[in-house]
Amino acid sequence: MSFKRKSLIFGCLLVVTMLFMSACGGGQTGDVSDDELGEMVPSLVILSSLPEANMVNYEMAQEVAEELQELGVDIVAQPMDFAVLLDVLYGEDMDYDAFTIGWSGRIERLDPDMFIHSIFHSDNAGVGGNNTSRYRNPAFDALADAQRQEMDLEKRREIVFEAQEILAEDVPLITLYSRANMQTYNKERFENVINIPGEGLFNEWTPFTLTPLTDKTVPVVASNVNIDDINPLSSKSVYGWRNLRLIYDKLVRLSPEIEPVPWAAESWEVVADDVIDVTLRSGMTFHDGEPVTVEDVKFSYDLFIDQNVEYFASFLEPIDSVEITDENTVRFNLKYAYAPFITNTLAQIPILPQHIWEDISNPVQYANSEAIGSGPFKLERFQTGEELVLSRFDEYFEPPIIEGYIFQIFASPEGVLTALELGNVDMVSYDLVPAHTEQIFNNDGGRYDHLELTEAQDIGFFYLGFNIDRPPFDNREFRKAVAYLTDYDLALDVHLNGYGARGGGGFSIVEANEFWHNPNVPIYDTYDPEMARQILEDAGFTWDSNGRMRMPK
Amino acid sequence: MLNFLLRRIGVMFLMIFLVSTMIFFMFRLMPGDPTAFVVDPSIPTEAREQLLDRYGLNESLFVQYQIFIKDLVRLDFGDSYFYNRPAIEIIQEKLAATLILMIAAMIIAYTIGVLIGALMAWRRGTKFESFAITFALFFRSAPTFWIGLIAILVVSVQFGLLPAQGMRSAGTGGGTFSEMFLNLDFLRHLILPTIVASLYFIATPLLIMRNSMLEVMSEDYIEMARAKGIKEWKILYYHAARNALLPVVTAGALFIGSAIGGQVLLEVVFSWPGLGREIVTAVTRHDYPLAQACFIIISAVVMFMNLVADLMYAFLDPRISYN
Repeated sequence: MSFKRKSLIFGCLLVVTMLFMSACGGGQTGDVSDDELGEMVPSLVILSSLPEANMVNYEMAQEVAEELQELGVDIVAQPMDFAVLLDVLYGEDMDYDAFTIGWSGRIERLDPDMFIHSIFHSDNAGVGGNNTSRYRNPAFDALADAQRQEMDLEKRREIVFEAQEILAEDVPLITLYSRANMQTYNKERFENVINIPGEGLFNEWTPFTLTPLTDKTVPVVASNVNIDDINPLSSKSVYGWRNLRLIYDKLVRLSPEIEPVPWAAESWEVVADDVIDVTLRSGMTFHDGEPVTVEDVKFSYDLFIDQNVEYFASFLEPIDSVEITDENTVRFNLKYAYAPFITNTLAQIPILPQHIWEDISNPVQYANSEAIGSGPFKLERFQTGEELVLSRFDEYFEPPIIEGYIFQIFASPEGVLTALELGNVDMVSYDLVPAHTEQIFNNDGGRYDHLELTEAQDIGFFYLGFNIDRPPFDNREFRKAVAYLTDYDLALDVHLNGYGARGGGGFSIVEANEFWHNPNVPIYDTYDPEMARQILEDAGFTWDSNGRMRMPK
Repeated sequence: MLNFLLRRIGVMFLMIFLVSTMIFFMFRLMPGDPTAFVVDPSIPTEAREQLLDRYGLNESLFVQYQIFIKDLVRLDFGDSYFYNRPAIEIIQEKLAATLILMIAAMIIAYTIGVLIGALMAWRRGTKFESFAITFALFFRSAPTFWIGLIAILVVSVQFGLLPAQGMRSAGTGGGTFSEMFLNLDFLRHLILPTIVASLYFIATPLLIMRNSMLEVMSEDYIEMARAKGIKEWKILYYHAARNALLPVVTAGALFIGSAIGGQVLLEVVFSWPGLGREIVTAVTRHDYPLAQACFIIISAVVMFMNLVADLMYAFLDPRISYN
C-alpha cells in the first residue's frame, strides 16, 4: 500500500469522525469549537441515604442523577449512612454538591417559623446552620424576619404566603414527597380517636377522647422506638416527649385543628408585641396533691432557661424575663416580638413542681423515676426498654375517659404487627411500614377485621437539597431545570404506593398544613425533561462536542 | 497451681486494658458524631456545641482517653448519652433478661445434647444417628430469626398456646426481682424463645459429645466393662459418657462467656429486652459510654470463662495439672 493511499484513508476517517462527533453534540454547538464554550459543568455527587434506611430517597437520588447524566452532566448518586451525611451537611468543610434528606413533621413545625426562617434564612446558612442549601436572598430574609415579629395571625399569614412564593421561584431545594402517617387501632375495643397531621393517632388529644367499647379500659399503645428517660430536662426522644406532655401540663395546647388553646392557662393577653401576660387556671394540683401556682410556672421557665435545655433552646431564646404580676398572672418579657411564642414556647414548656425540683442539685442528671406533674396522667412505672405505665389523674380538670394507658416498646415493627393481630396491643404510635399498611389493607382471611387503618398527611417532607454556594446549583435556572427532571409521581405512586403527597420545587409548607400553606405553590412541580432542556438552553447552558453540558459564559 | 493462676489473672488484666483501649479508639474513629442521634439535627449550633461539651467530646482524644482509663480503673463506665443514666445500670437490667434466656436455653441444649450425643455414638450407623445429626445441623444452619418467626406463627398466632413476644404481659412489670421474674406469666413468655434458642445451640454439645464418645468407646476399659457383663446403658452413661464429657464442659464454659452478648436476632424477633439489642442500638446511636461498657464487660467475661474452663479441666481430669 502506497503512502498516498494510506493518508487518503486516514483523511477520510478523520472527516467521518469529525462529522460523527459534531452530530453527537446535538447540533446546538454548531460550528463553535469547544474552547469557546463556557466552563464544563463540574462533576457532581448527590449524597443520598442507604437503601435500607430510606429506599425512596435512595431511588429518587438515582433517578435525578440519571436524568442529569442524559443531559450531559457528570453526576452520580452516592448512598451514605445518615450520621455521616449529617456530619457532611453540618460540618465545617461544607463539602457537598447535593443531597437527599428530610425534615420530620413534629407538631411545633406546624408553625411556619421552622420551615421558613430556620431552614432558609441566610443567618442560618453558615456552618452548623439548618439552611443546608446555603440559600441567601435578602428579599426573602426580610419576609422571614417579618413573619417572626408579626403578632397578628392574618397579617403573618400573608407574609408567609409571600415568602413561599419567593421560595417556589428560587427553588433552593426540591421537595420529592411527603409521607402519609398510616396508622391503625383496634376499633372493636376503642372509639373516638383523633388523627392529627404530623402526629397521627398517638397525639395529645386521643388519650382524652379515647372511649373503651369493652371491659378493657387501659389501652396498650405500641411503639417500635425506645424512650430514653422521663426527665423533661433531659429527654430528647420524640416518644419520650409524646408521653411526658401527658404527665406534665403545659400552659397552652395546640387543638386538633392546630390552633393554640389556653390549657393550664385560663387565658393569655398580648399586652405589647414583646410582653405577654398569662393567667393561670385556678384549682389545679400536682399528682402529689400540692397546688399548681404561678411560682411553679415561673420556676419552670427559669429552670429550662438556666439549664439551657438543648431541645428547647430556640423556643426559649426570645425570653428576656419571667415575672409574677399577681397571684394568678405571669408576665413574659421578650427580647423582641416573636410570633411563635404562643404556639411553640407556651405550648411546649412543661410546668414542673417547684417543691420537688428546687432541691435537686443537678436537674439535668436527675432520674425523675417518680415523675410528679400536673397533667392528665400519673406515672405508675417506667421500665427502660419495656414499657411506660400511666394511670388517669382523677383530679384533673378535664379527666380522660380511659383509666390509663400502657406504652409498650417492641423490638421491630413485625413484632407489633403480630401483637396487633393477636389483640395484644390496641394502637400504634408510629407510622406503619408500607408493607404492613398493605397487609392490613388487604386483610387476608379477615385477620385484621378488628383494625381500622387511619391516614393523616405528614407535615414533614423529604427533599433534594443543593449547595447553592457551588456551581451549577448557584444558577437558579439550573435548579429550576432539575425541578423539571424530578418525577414526583414516580416517588408518590410507585415508591410510596400512593400513601403520601406530591412534592415540588422550593416547597416546604405542605398542603396538610392547611392554614399556612399557600395554594399557589409549588410552581415547578411536573416532570418534563424537554422543558428542563429548554430552560437550560434559554439560560445559556451549552453542550460541547462530547455532549457534555457547559456553564453559561 | 497458684503461680499459674496469678499469671493468668495478670495476663487477663493486661488483655482487658488492651481491649478497652482498642474499643475506645474504634468508636471514636467511627464517622458521625453522637449529637446527631441524641438530638434532632434542627437544634441550634450553640446547643449542639454545649451538648458535646457536656459529654466531654470537645476535649482532645488523648485527654478523653486519660479520663476514660482513670474512670475504668474505678469501674466507672460513665453515663449513657441516650438514657442519661449510668451505663452499668442499664447493662445490669438488660443482662438479667439476657442471662435468664441464655442459661435456660443452655441447660436444655446441653442436657439433651449430652444425653442424645452419647446415645448417638453408641448407636453409630443407625437411622437414629443420621436423623439426629440432620436434625441438629438443620437447626444450626437455619437462621434463628426465621425459626423464631415460624415458631411465633405456629404456636402463638395459629394455636394461641404461648405469648408471641416480650418478657411479660403489658402492664405487669415492675417490683422486685422475684416479682418480675418468678411468676407464671414470665415463664410462659420464656418458653418459646428458650426452645428456639436451644434448637440452635443443641448442635454443639450433641456433636462434640458424639465425637468424644466415639473416642472413649474404643478405650480398653469399655471393652473390660463389657466383658464383665455390665448392662449396656450403665456402661454408656456411667463409664463412657463421664469421660467423654470433658470437651463439652469447655464448650459450655465458653458458651456462657459469649452468651452474655445475647442472640441479637432472637431478641429482636421476640422483642426480648436483652443486652444484645441494646449493644446494637448503642453502637448505631454512638452512645459511646454504653457501647464501651458492653464490649468491655463481654470481653472480660469471655476471658474469665476461659480461665474457668482451664481450671475445670484440671478438676475433671486428674491427669491434667498446672504445676
